[in-house]
Amino acid sequence: MNTQYIISGNNIRKEFKKFTLDLPELKIPKGYVTALIGENGSGKSTLLNILSGIRMDFKGQVEYFEGINSVDAEGVKERIGFVTPNDYYFPTWTIQQIEELSSLLFENFSREEFVSLLQELDVQTEGFGKKQKKISELSDGNRMKVMLAGVLARKTELLILDEPASPLDPLMREKLCDLIRTYMEDGAGERSVFFSTHNVTDMENVTDYCIIMEDGAIVEEGFVENLKEKYILVKGELDSYEKTIPHLVSATKSSFGFEGLALTEKMDALSGLNLDFETPTLSQMSVGIMRNYSKVV
Amino acid sequence: MKIMQNSGVPIYQQIADQFRADILSGKMKEGEFLPSIRGLARELKISVITTMKAYEMLEAEGLVTAVQGKGFLINAQDNELLREQHLRNVEAALTEAIQSAEIAGLSDKELKDTLNTLLMLKKEEQ
Repeated sequence: MNTQYIISGNNIRKEFKKFTLDLPELKIPKGYVTALIGENGSGKSTLLNILSGIRMDFKGQVEYFEGINSVDAEGVKERIGFVTPNDYYFPTWTIQQIEELSSLLFENFSREEFVSLLQELDVQTEGFGKKQKKISELSDGNRMKVMLAGVLARKTELLILDEPASPLDPLMREKLCDLIRTYMEDGAGERSVFFSTHNVTDMENVTDYCIIMEDGAIVEEGFVENLKEKYILVKGELDSYEKTIPHLVSATKSSFGFEGLALTEKMDALSGLNLDFETPTLSQMSVGIMRNYSKVV
Repeated sequence: MKIMQNSGVPIYQQIADQFRADILSGKMKEGEFLPSIRGLARELKISVITTMKAYEMLEAEGLVTAVQGKGFLINAQDNELLREQHLRNVEAALTEAIQSAEIAGLSDKELKDTLNTLLMLKKEEQ
């Protein structure tokens, strides 16, 4: 597979008092949906804020759309749609004001598309021109819907979404996946999506590539189908635990047995230990890898 | 097309199996294209990479060819190969019938008679 990259980063570094984001290399494949997975505080939002141009105080280089070296270069922000759970819009704005400002800020913003998306997502748009709810008065879920509609109403080539699934209910999460797939289909290989999430299970069936971060560093990444061949889920009875554990990436034990994640290349060492094997889901893989690095007991 | 999320069979495998069956049975014909990768992903609510892996599998088997910028084209199927495939299906079905006959305590003659009767009925229908 000949992969091109929509974003390539080199030596991206941001130091905080107790935490450092340090990415020698970052590559986000073009034409795919990439998930950014990691524990709370692993640096996901910091990275997304850097890539979207919200955070300017960092070291290193980020290249966009193969050859553009700054998010502030002409036209770059026009081609990127960014959604964050934090206050990107002013809390006192109404949906109508967002609509008006978006069409001032972005040439490619379609008002009709915005209104039709809000209706599709069941966000109240009646009463335009009358007294309206402020963004701060909307529920978290509805605020996310308004922001998603805001970026999807524009003709962009890259969506950067910070935790889009978190505030949404299960039905709306499925809708979010549908919206992403439609966005990708309309782009015919020219569009890419990069999103962070804790809801790996809900987002698995839309994820092509995944990057797992721990404590400010990338600990694993790859196309999901390749990672599913790289890792294997191992289950066994307690009597084989001691012999198995040195070969595992991580494991959890109960009074009845244990379950862990292993590299498939360790299969030879694991044979004959009376174990059961299963292809892991993205969620099981992520948890297994994160557990290896986590300080959570 | 049906996709089972928890069947233990990888999703890419399920997709490849169903297209393979359609191609070998002649339901999908030479010169036609498989659905677009992103279109199928959206319809089946699966990721692009999974669809891609299924198509690459079919390509490796020689059933389809990737055409730059156009998609996956269904190849002319080797008739000899096709006949071989059908022959294997017949053998598998007959083997199953033999096993059922054993369980039911049917003699070889009774089993053959049953097959003959079924063949006769089939002819009468036509």
